[in-house]
Amino acid sequence: MSASAILSFSTAFALVTLSLGLLLTVARIVRGPTLPDRVLGLDMLVAIAIGFIAVIAIRSGFNLYIDIAIALSLVGFLATVAFARFILARGLSPESASADSRAAIAPKRGKAPAPARRQKKGGRR
Amino acid sequence: MRFIVVNLLLTLVWVAVTGSFTLHNLALGFAIGAMSLLLVREQLPASLHRVRPVKMLLLAGLFFKELTLSAIKVAFMVLTPDMRLRPGIFAYPLTITRDFEITLLANLITLTPGTLSVDVSDDRKMLYVHALDCHDPAAERRAISTGFERRIREAFPA
Amino acid sequence: MSAGPDMLVAIAVSVLLVAGSIFSLLAALGLLRFPDLYTRMHAASKAGTVGSGFLLLAAGLHALDIAILLRALAGFAFFVLTAPVSAHLLAKAAHQAGYKLTNLSVTDQLPLAKQKSDRL
Repeated sequence: MSASAILSFSTAFALVTLSLGLLLTVARIVRGPTLPDRVLGLDMLVAIAIGFIAVIAIRSGFNLYIDIAIALSLVGFLATVAFARFILARGLSPESASADSRAAIAPKRGKAPAPARRQKKGGRR
Repeated sequence: MRFIVVNLLLTLVWVAVTGSFTLHNLALGFAIGAMSLLLVREQLPASLHRVRPVKMLLLAGLFFKELTLSAIKVAFMVLTPDMRLRPGIFAYPLTITRDFEITLLANLITLTPGTLSVDVSDDRKMLYVHALDCHDPAAERRAISTGFERRIREAFPA
Repeated sequence: MSAGPDMLVAIAVSVLLVAGSIFSLLAALGLLRFPDLYTRMHAASKAGTVGSGFLLLAAGLHALDIAILLRALAGFAFFVLTAPVSAHLLAKAAHQAGYKLTNLSVTDQLPLAKQKSDRL
Protein backbone atom coordinates (compact mmCIF):
# COMPACT_ATOMS: atom_id res chain seq x y z
CA MET A 1 0.00 0.00 0.00
CA SER A 2 1.49 3.32 -1.01
CA ALA A 3 1.33 6.56 0.96
CA SER A 4 -1.15 8.15 -1.42
CA ALA A 5 -3.43 5.12 -1.23
CA ILE A 6 -3.49 5.33 2.57
CA LEU A 7 -4.21 9.05 2.38
CA SER A 8 -7.01 8.72 -0.13
CA PHE A 9 -8.61 5.98 1.96
CA SER A 10 -8.39 7.93 5.22
CA THR A 11 -9.66 11.17 3.67
CA ALA A 12 -12.61 9.30 2.18
CA PHE A 13 -13.32 7.76 5.58
CA ALA A 14 -13.10 11.18 7.24
CA LEU A 15 -15.46 12.72 4.67
CA VAL A 16 -18.07 10.00 5.21
CA THR A 17 -17.80 10.24 9.01
CA LEU A 18 -18.04 14.01 8.98
CA SER A 19 -21.07 13.86 6.69
CA LEU A 20 -22.78 11.59 9.21
CA GLY A 21 -21.90 14.03 11.97
CA LEU A 22 -23.28 16.90 9.91
CA LEU A 23 -26.52 14.97 9.44
CA LEU A 24 -26.87 14.29 13.18
CA THR A 25 -26.24 17.95 13.97
CA VAL A 26 -28.86 19.05 11.46
CA ALA A 27 -31.29 16.63 13.13
CA ARG A 28 -30.61 18.35 16.44
CA ILE A 29 -31.13 21.79 14.90
CA VAL A 30 -34.47 20.78 13.38
CA ARG A 31 -35.64 19.02 16.54
CA GLY A 32 -33.90 21.07 19.22
CA PRO A 33 -36.71 22.03 21.57
CA THR A 34 -35.33 25.42 22.52
CA LEU A 35 -33.47 28.24 20.81
CA PRO A 36 -30.17 27.70 22.70
CA ASP A 37 -30.19 24.08 21.52
CA ARG A 38 -30.37 25.27 17.94
CA VAL A 39 -27.64 27.83 18.50
CA LEU A 40 -25.44 25.09 19.93
CA GLY A 41 -26.24 22.98 16.88
CA LEU A 42 -25.16 25.81 14.58
CA ASP A 43 -21.93 26.17 16.57
CA MET A 44 -21.28 22.46 16.14
CA LEU A 45 -22.13 22.76 12.43
CA VAL A 46 -19.41 25.38 12.04
CA ALA A 47 -16.93 23.17 13.88
CA ILE A 48 -17.69 20.22 11.60
CA ALA A 49 -17.48 22.48 8.54
CA ILE A 50 -14.00 23.50 9.65
CA GLY A 51 -13.04 19.84 9.84
CA PHE A 52 -14.51 19.31 6.39
CA ILE A 53 -12.47 22.16 4.95
CA ALA A 54 -9.31 20.73 6.48
CA VAL A 55 -9.99 17.33 4.92
CA ILE A 56 -10.69 18.96 1.54
CA ALA A 57 -7.38 20.81 1.90
CA ILE A 58 -5.58 17.47 2.24
CA ARG A 59 -7.50 15.85 -0.60
CA SER A 60 -7.08 18.65 -3.08
CA GLY A 61 -3.63 19.83 -2.01
CA PHE A 62 -4.66 23.50 -1.84
CA ASN A 63 -3.21 24.75 1.44
CA LEU A 64 -5.12 27.99 1.09
CA TYR A 65 -8.12 26.14 2.52
CA ILE A 66 -6.51 26.26 5.97
CA ASP A 67 -6.81 30.05 5.96
CA ILE A 68 -10.47 29.71 5.05
CA ALA A 69 -10.93 27.34 7.98
CA ILE A 70 -9.33 29.84 10.38
CA ALA A 71 -11.53 32.66 9.08
CA LEU A 72 -14.61 30.46 9.39
CA SER A 73 -13.76 29.56 12.98
CA LEU A 74 -13.50 33.24 13.93
CA VAL A 75 -16.77 34.10 12.18
CA GLY A 76 -18.49 31.15 13.85
CA PHE A 77 -17.28 32.30 17.25
CA LEU A 78 -18.65 35.81 16.66
CA ALA A 79 -21.97 34.38 15.48
CA THR A 80 -22.32 32.29 18.64
CA VAL A 81 -21.48 35.27 20.84
CA ALA A 82 -24.08 37.37 19.03
CA PHE A 83 -26.69 34.63 19.47
CA ALA A 84 -25.85 34.33 23.16
CA ARG A 85 -26.39 38.05 23.61
CA PHE A 86 -29.66 37.77 21.75
CA ILE A 87 -30.86 34.95 24.02
CA LEU A 88 -29.89 36.98 27.06
CA ALA A 89 -31.70 40.07 25.77
CA ARG A 90 -34.83 38.22 24.68
CA GLY A 91 -35.21 36.03 27.73
CA LEU A 92 -37.41 32.96 27.77
CA SER A 93 -39.86 32.78 24.89
CA PRO A 94 -43.41 31.70 25.84
CA GLU A 95 -43.37 28.69 23.50
CA SER A 96 -40.21 27.21 24.90
CA ALA A 97 -41.40 27.84 28.46
CA SER A 98 -44.45 25.68 27.80
CA ALA A 99 -42.29 23.08 26.06
CA ASP A 100 -40.06 23.03 29.11
CA SER A 101 -42.92 22.45 31.54
CA ARG A 102 -44.31 19.68 29.35
CA ALA A 103 -40.90 18.04 29.30
CA ALA A 104 -40.83 18.34 33.09
CA ILE A 105 -44.09 16.41 33.41
CA ALA A 106 -42.92 13.53 31.24
CA PRO A 107 -39.13 13.39 31.58
CA LYS A 108 -38.56 10.60 29.04
CA ARG A 109 -35.05 11.56 28.16
CA GLY A 110 -33.44 10.94 24.83
CA LYS A 111 -36.65 11.36 22.90
CA ALA A 112 -39.42 13.81 23.55
CA PRO A 113 -40.98 14.04 20.13
CA ALA A 114 -44.35 15.53 20.97
CA PRO A 115 -43.23 18.78 22.66
CA ALA A 116 -40.41 19.14 20.20
CA ARG A 117 -42.69 19.00 17.20
CA ARG A 118 -45.25 21.27 18.74
CA GLN A 119 -42.52 23.72 19.65
CA LYS A 120 -41.25 23.74 16.09
CA LYS A 121 -44.64 24.60 14.68
CA GLY A 122 -45.16 27.28 17.29
CA GLY A 123 -41.78 28.74 16.47
CA ARG A 124 -42.53 28.98 12.77
CA ARG A 125 -46.02 30.33 13.21
CA MET B 1 7.85 49.32 27.18
CA ARG B 2 5.17 46.67 27.51
CA PHE B 3 3.72 47.91 24.23
CA ILE B 4 6.95 47.10 22.47
CA VAL B 5 7.16 43.60 23.96
CA VAL B 6 3.58 42.81 22.98
CA ASN B 7 4.13 44.39 19.58
CA LEU B 8 7.19 42.23 18.94
CA LEU B 9 5.19 39.16 19.90
CA LEU B 10 2.44 40.17 17.49
CA THR B 11 5.04 40.71 14.77
CA LEU B 12 6.35 37.19 15.32
CA VAL B 13 2.83 35.77 15.12
CA TRP B 14 2.19 37.74 11.91
CA VAL B 15 5.38 36.48 10.31
CA ALA B 16 4.55 32.92 11.34
CA VAL B 17 1.02 33.09 9.99
CA THR B 18 1.94 34.72 6.68
CA GLY B 19 4.92 32.40 6.40
CA SER B 20 7.68 34.63 4.97
CA PHE B 21 10.58 35.88 7.04
CA THR B 22 11.55 38.88 4.88
CA LEU B 23 12.40 42.32 6.21
CA HIS B 24 9.42 43.86 4.42
CA ASN B 25 7.03 41.40 5.99
CA LEU B 26 8.55 42.02 9.44
CA ALA B 27 8.00 45.75 9.02
CA LEU B 28 4.46 45.22 7.82
CA GLY B 29 3.74 42.91 10.75
CA PHE B 30 5.15 45.47 13.18
CA ALA B 31 2.97 48.21 11.69
CA ILE B 32 -0.16 46.07 11.81
CA GLY B 33 0.63 45.01 15.38
CA ALA B 34 1.05 48.64 16.40
CA MET B 35 -2.27 49.58 14.80
CA SER B 36 -4.16 46.75 16.49
CA LEU B 37 -2.55 47.62 19.83
CA LEU B 38 -3.67 51.22 19.32
CA LEU B 39 -7.24 49.95 19.01
CA VAL B 40 -7.20 48.03 22.30
CA ARG B 41 -4.83 50.22 24.34
CA GLU B 42 -7.46 50.96 27.00
CA GLN B 43 -8.09 47.29 27.68
CA LEU B 44 -4.44 46.37 28.19
CA PRO B 45 -3.44 45.69 31.80
CA ALA B 46 -1.45 48.34 33.57
CA SER B 47 1.70 46.24 33.74
CA LEU B 48 3.03 43.01 32.39
CA HIS B 49 2.54 40.26 34.91
CA ARG B 50 5.40 38.25 36.20
CA VAL B 51 5.40 34.91 34.49
CA ARG B 52 7.24 31.67 35.17
CA PRO B 53 7.86 30.12 31.76
CA VAL B 54 8.56 26.58 32.98
CA LYS B 55 5.44 26.50 35.13
CA MET B 56 3.46 27.87 32.21
CA LEU B 57 4.71 25.05 30.00
CA LEU B 58 3.69 22.59 32.72
CA LEU B 59 0.24 24.18 32.78
CA ALA B 60 -0.01 23.88 28.99
CA GLY B 61 1.06 20.24 29.15
CA LEU B 62 -1.50 19.48 31.86
CA PHE B 63 -4.12 21.26 29.79
CA PHE B 64 -3.53 19.26 26.61
CA LYS B 65 -3.45 16.02 28.56
CA GLU B 66 -6.76 16.84 30.24
CA LEU B 67 -8.30 18.02 26.97
CA THR B 68 -7.55 14.71 25.24
CA LEU B 69 -8.74 12.73 28.28
CA SER B 70 -11.97 14.70 28.48
CA ALA B 71 -12.73 14.25 24.78
CA ILE B 72 -12.19 10.50 25.14
CA LYS B 73 -14.33 10.40 28.27
CA VAL B 74 -17.20 12.29 26.65
CA ALA B 75 -16.92 10.07 23.57
CA PHE B 76 -17.24 6.92 25.68
CA MET B 77 -20.10 8.43 27.62
CA VAL B 78 -21.96 9.13 24.40
CA LEU B 79 -21.46 5.55 23.29
CA THR B 80 -22.74 3.88 26.47
CA PRO B 81 -26.37 2.85 25.90
CA ASP B 82 -27.54 4.04 29.29
CA MET B 83 -25.88 7.32 30.22
CA ARG B 84 -25.90 7.40 33.99
CA LEU B 85 -25.93 11.16 34.22
CA ARG B 86 -26.25 13.09 37.42
CA PRO B 87 -25.66 16.60 36.16
CA GLY B 88 -25.80 19.73 38.24
CA ILE B 89 -24.31 23.14 38.83
CA PHE B 90 -22.06 23.64 41.85
CA ALA B 91 -20.47 26.79 43.20
CA TYR B 92 -16.70 26.93 43.39
CA PRO B 93 -15.15 29.53 45.72
CA LEU B 94 -12.28 31.25 43.93
CA THR B 95 -9.03 32.03 45.66
CA ILE B 96 -7.45 33.75 42.66
CA THR B 97 -8.55 37.31 42.19
CA ARG B 98 -7.22 38.79 38.97
CA ASP B 99 -9.52 38.83 35.96
CA PHE B 100 -7.23 37.13 33.50
CA GLU B 101 -6.54 34.33 35.96
CA ILE B 102 -10.25 33.74 36.45
CA THR B 103 -10.74 33.75 32.67
CA LEU B 104 -7.94 31.24 32.24
CA LEU B 105 -9.32 29.01 34.99
CA ALA B 106 -12.83 29.15 33.52
CA ASN B 107 -11.51 28.21 30.08
CA LEU B 108 -9.45 25.36 31.47
CA ILE B 109 -12.39 24.04 33.47
CA THR B 110 -14.59 24.08 30.38
CA LEU B 111 -12.17 21.91 28.45
CA THR B 112 -11.60 19.31 31.18
CA PRO B 113 -13.52 16.12 31.87
CA GLY B 114 -17.13 16.52 32.90
CA THR B 115 -17.03 20.17 33.90
CA LEU B 116 -18.14 23.36 32.18
CA SER B 117 -18.00 26.80 33.72
CA VAL B 118 -21.30 28.66 33.49
CA ASP B 119 -21.01 31.92 35.38
CA VAL B 120 -18.95 34.09 37.70
CA SER B 121 -20.61 35.95 40.54
CA ASP B 122 -20.59 39.74 40.37
CA ASP B 123 -18.02 40.09 43.13
CA ARG B 124 -15.65 37.59 41.43
CA LYS B 125 -15.67 35.28 44.43
CA MET B 126 -17.64 32.34 43.05
CA LEU B 127 -17.36 30.36 39.88
CA TYR B 128 -20.41 28.32 38.93
CA VAL B 129 -19.51 25.06 37.25
CA HIS B 130 -21.80 22.61 35.50
CA ALA B 131 -20.71 19.00 35.95
CA LEU B 132 -21.92 15.88 34.20
CA ASP B 133 -21.49 13.91 37.39
CA CYS B 134 -22.34 16.14 40.30
CA HIS B 135 -23.17 13.69 43.09
CA ASP B 136 -20.04 14.76 44.99
CA PRO B 137 -19.36 18.47 44.49
CA ALA B 138 -16.74 18.49 47.25
CA ALA B 139 -14.53 16.10 45.30
CA GLU B 140 -14.90 18.20 42.14
CA ARG B 141 -13.94 21.33 44.09
CA ARG B 142 -10.90 19.62 45.51
CA ALA B 143 -9.81 18.44 42.07
CA ILE B 144 -9.98 21.97 40.65
CA SER B 145 -8.25 23.65 43.57
CA THR B 146 -5.36 21.18 43.72
CA GLY B 147 -5.08 20.93 39.91
CA PHE B 148 -5.56 23.97 37.74
CA GLU B 149 -5.92 26.68 40.36
CA ARG B 150 -2.67 25.74 42.05
CA ARG B 151 -0.87 25.56 38.69
CA ILE B 152 -2.21 28.97 37.67
CA ARG B 153 -1.06 30.50 40.95
CA GLU B 154 2.38 29.01 40.41
CA ALA B 155 2.62 30.17 36.80
CA PHE B 156 1.54 33.75 37.55
CA PRO B 157 2.86 34.73 40.97
CA ALA B 158 1.41 37.95 42.30
CA MET C 1 7.04 6.17 -4.41
CA SER C 2 6.52 4.93 -0.87
CA ALA C 3 9.74 6.04 0.72
CA GLY C 4 10.22 5.87 4.50
CA PRO C 5 9.50 9.44 5.67
CA ASP C 6 6.75 9.89 3.11
CA MET C 7 5.00 6.83 4.47
CA LEU C 8 5.42 7.95 8.08
CA VAL C 9 3.81 11.33 7.37
CA ALA C 10 0.98 9.65 5.51
CA ILE C 11 0.33 7.32 8.43
CA ALA C 12 0.44 10.14 10.99
CA VAL C 13 -1.93 12.26 8.88
CA SER C 14 -4.27 9.29 8.45
CA VAL C 15 -4.36 8.60 12.19
CA LEU C 16 -5.15 12.25 12.90
CA LEU C 17 -7.84 12.27 10.21
CA VAL C 18 -9.57 9.14 11.46
CA ALA C 19 -9.39 10.18 15.13
CA GLY C 20 -10.56 13.72 14.40
CA SER C 21 -13.49 12.68 12.27
CA ILE C 22 -14.59 10.07 14.81
CA PHE C 23 -14.44 12.64 17.61
CA SER C 24 -16.55 15.01 15.49
CA LEU C 25 -19.10 12.29 14.81
CA LEU C 26 -19.29 11.39 18.51
CA ALA C 27 -19.74 15.04 19.42
CA ALA C 28 -22.65 15.26 16.99
CA LEU C 29 -24.08 12.04 18.41
CA GLY C 30 -23.72 13.48 21.90
CA LEU C 31 -25.56 16.59 20.75
CA LEU C 32 -28.41 14.31 19.78
CA ARG C 33 -28.39 11.98 22.79
CA PHE C 34 -27.77 14.14 25.85
CA PRO C 35 -30.93 15.22 27.66
CA ASP C 36 -30.58 18.99 27.98
CA LEU C 37 -28.71 22.02 26.70
CA TYR C 38 -26.07 22.05 29.41
CA THR C 39 -25.06 18.42 29.03
CA ARG C 40 -25.09 18.75 25.22
CA MET C 41 -22.68 21.60 25.61
CA HIS C 42 -20.18 19.21 27.17
CA ALA C 43 -20.19 17.08 24.03
CA ALA C 44 -19.94 20.03 21.65
CA SER C 45 -17.24 21.94 23.48
CA LYS C 46 -14.90 19.04 24.23
CA ALA C 47 -15.19 16.33 21.61
CA GLY C 48 -16.05 18.87 18.92
CA THR C 49 -13.01 21.01 19.67
CA VAL C 50 -10.66 18.04 19.72
CA GLY C 51 -12.16 16.67 16.50
CA SER C 52 -11.79 19.85 14.47
CA GLY C 53 -8.40 20.51 16.03
CA PHE C 54 -7.08 17.10 14.97
CA LEU C 55 -8.33 17.62 11.43
CA LEU C 56 -6.65 21.03 11.23
CA LEU C 57 -3.41 19.54 12.56
CA ALA C 58 -3.63 16.79 9.95
CA ALA C 59 -3.96 19.39 7.20
CA GLY C 60 -0.96 21.29 8.56
CA LEU C 61 1.15 18.16 8.89
CA HIS C 62 0.28 16.95 5.41
CA ALA C 63 1.71 20.05 3.72
CA LEU C 64 5.23 19.39 5.13
CA ASP C 65 5.82 23.12 5.21
CA ILE C 66 6.72 24.90 8.43
CA ALA C 67 4.72 28.02 7.49
CA ILE C 68 1.57 26.05 6.81
CA LEU C 69 2.04 23.92 9.91
CA LEU C 70 2.36 27.12 11.96
CA ARG C 71 -0.79 28.45 10.35
CA ALA C 72 -2.66 25.28 11.19
CA LEU C 73 -1.35 25.49 14.76
CA ALA C 74 -2.55 29.09 14.96
CA GLY C 75 -5.96 27.97 13.76
CA PHE C 76 -5.98 25.23 16.39
CA ALA C 77 -5.03 27.75 19.07
CA PHE C 78 -7.80 30.14 17.98
CA PHE C 79 -10.25 27.30 18.10
CA VAL C 80 -9.18 26.08 21.54
CA LEU C 81 -9.33 29.63 22.90
CA THR C 82 -12.71 30.54 21.43
CA ALA C 83 -14.67 27.31 21.89
CA PRO C 84 -14.86 27.46 25.71
CA VAL C 85 -15.70 31.16 25.62
CA SER C 86 -18.66 30.65 23.31
CA ALA C 87 -19.84 27.62 25.30
CA HIS C 88 -19.55 29.61 28.51
CA LEU C 89 -21.47 32.58 27.06
CA LEU C 90 -24.23 30.39 25.69
CA ALA C 91 -24.62 28.49 28.98
CA LYS C 92 -24.69 31.71 30.97
CA ALA C 93 -27.20 33.34 28.63
CA ALA C 94 -29.45 30.28 28.63
CA HIS C 95 -29.33 30.01 32.42
CA GLN C 96 -30.03 33.69 32.96
CA ALA C 97 -32.87 33.60 30.47
CA GLY C 98 -34.36 30.79 32.55
CA TYR C 99 -33.91 27.66 30.48
CA LYS C 100 -34.07 24.81 32.97
CA LEU C 101 -31.69 21.96 33.63
CA THR C 102 -32.81 18.42 32.95
CA ASN C 103 -34.83 16.58 35.59
CA LEU C 104 -31.91 14.25 36.20
CA SER C 105 -29.97 17.12 37.72
CA VAL C 106 -29.06 16.81 41.37
CA THR C 107 -28.09 20.35 42.32
CA ASP C 108 -28.24 23.87 40.97
CA GLN C 109 -26.34 26.26 43.19
CA LEU C 110 -26.33 29.09 40.69
CA PRO C 111 -28.88 31.65 41.86
CA LEU C 112 -31.46 32.43 39.20
CA ALA C 113 -31.16 35.74 37.42
CA LYS C 114 -31.52 38.49 39.98
CA GLN C 115 -32.62 40.89 37.32
CA LYS C 116 -31.69 41.11 33.72
CA SER C 117 -28.32 42.76 33.85
CA ASP C 118 -26.72 44.05 30.71
CA ARG C 119 -23.32 42.71 31.66
CA LEU C 120 -22.02 39.83 29.60
